[in-house]
Amino acid sequence: MIELLHDTLNFDFPEVHEEASCRIDFQRTLRIPDDNKEYPLPAGLGRFPVRHVDDYANKIPEEWKQHGGVLMPMYQSEALWLNFSGDYPFALKIAAGKINAVTGEGWKNALSDEPQDYVVIPEQPWLDGFAVGKGRIRQFVAMPLGEEYTAEEQITGDAIHGGIQIIAYPMKAEAYEKYCLRSSTLNKMTNEICYYDMDGCAMGLAPGGLMCQEIYDDPYGMDVWDRAHSARCFIHIVNSTHYKKVTDEFPPHRPPTISDYQQAGIPWFEYYADELSAIEGSKKLAGLDSIAAMKIKKGEAPLADNESVIPANLKTISVGARKVKEWNG
Amino acid sequence: MLFGNYIRERREKRKKSDPRYSLRQVASRIGVEPAYLSKVERGDVAPPSEAKIIALATELDEDPDVLLALAGKVSSELQDVIRQRPELFAQLIRELKELPDHAILRVVREIRDGDW
Repeated sequence: MIELLHDTLNFDFPEVHEEASCRIDFQRTLRIPDDNKEYPLPAGLGRFPVRHVDDYANKIPEEWKQHGGVLMPMYQSEALWLNFSGDYPFALKIAAGKINAVTGEGWKNALSDEPQDYVVIPEQPWLDGFAVGKGRIRQFVAMPLGEEYTAEEQITGDAIHGGIQIIAYPMKAEAYEKYCLRSSTLNKMTNEICYYDMDGCAMGLAPGGLMCQEIYDDPYGMDVWDRAHSARCFIHIVNSTHYKKVTDEFPPHRPPTISDYQQAGIPWFEYYADELSAIEGSKKLAGLDSIAAMKIKKGEAPLADNESVIPANLKTISVGARKVKEWNG
Repeated sequence: MLFGNYIRERREKRKKSDPRYSLRQVASRIGVEPAYLSKVERGDVAPPSEAKIIALATELDEDPDVLLALAGKVSSELQDVIRQRPELFAQLIRELKELPDHAILRVVREIRDGDW
């Protein structure tokens, strides 16, 4: 089951194991420059607010009610990363607009290892974007559906789903007992009328700037995942300009510009987990146009606030120091 | 247990170690006459208003919802909550009434998964 507590999705499977739980939150962050240079990981600047869609049933599109799940606000061109917490191993499939963020394939509930279409936590502490190559991702950046930028639109040609989709599979209880006892390394890692004009409120995720981030190979193998138990969630993304109309709450402030970020000395991060190998990334996702490239292709004005920078205040972190990416400065 | 008996028992228990819990002083602190509080404790009059019961709960370090229930009342805050979705809450309470405490405490709101 999935519970929403403090803007965090809590996945619990007490029927599998009393410790089978993990948490996922959505971190506000800097949109890195989309200039084909590879950047380190930007810091988390706090959680996005997350709300039950059922609480706003008279103000959201009909399809969102059918999907169930939750909603969160994002500004156009705002970036996010997914923050995973919990010590119990889970296989997580993550999609944007029902396009798998690891493989670029369309949504399927089932896990696959040919190629691996999921991330494994706690080994994978974060996910910042679409896996476009070995050790490389393109940042998740919100764009309005219907303007051709999102991965969904570039791959399927349709602007239907948007948002983020997640399904979680816990490790089988017997495998958990075995691996926790066996490996000190693994242990250490840690229906009314819509009152508002909602046209343009739905957002999807588009590929932004390049970032160094490895998506790790499953170190356990497919057999350990309890495929009889899973829980999934549709996270709708509302344009922040509509968020107050829907929820009566103000969205978070706009994220900092790149120059604000650098001047404030907010750190960048390089993360190493030497014991783990990385997957190759998706050729399909690698072939997508980034937002800046798409703007040029469409003959639109260049992406604002997109000047190249040399990251200042670079910090190196390794396994066991997972939480430091959340910046509270 | 009757509301008045319960209040008197709790107040007298505290008074044994602290004279500030005399009938007179407690009545003064919650803003009623001692004679009135005495009648309430004996059950000679109906329990006081919600505000006075909440003041008594604060005074005696009791759960206000428990005292209100003993007095046959539901707090106006809870009434407001129920009034917003009366059918749902009536259904919920009826479904939960036979469950043991630990099961009720585990009632959490799941995120609904739909069709996608």
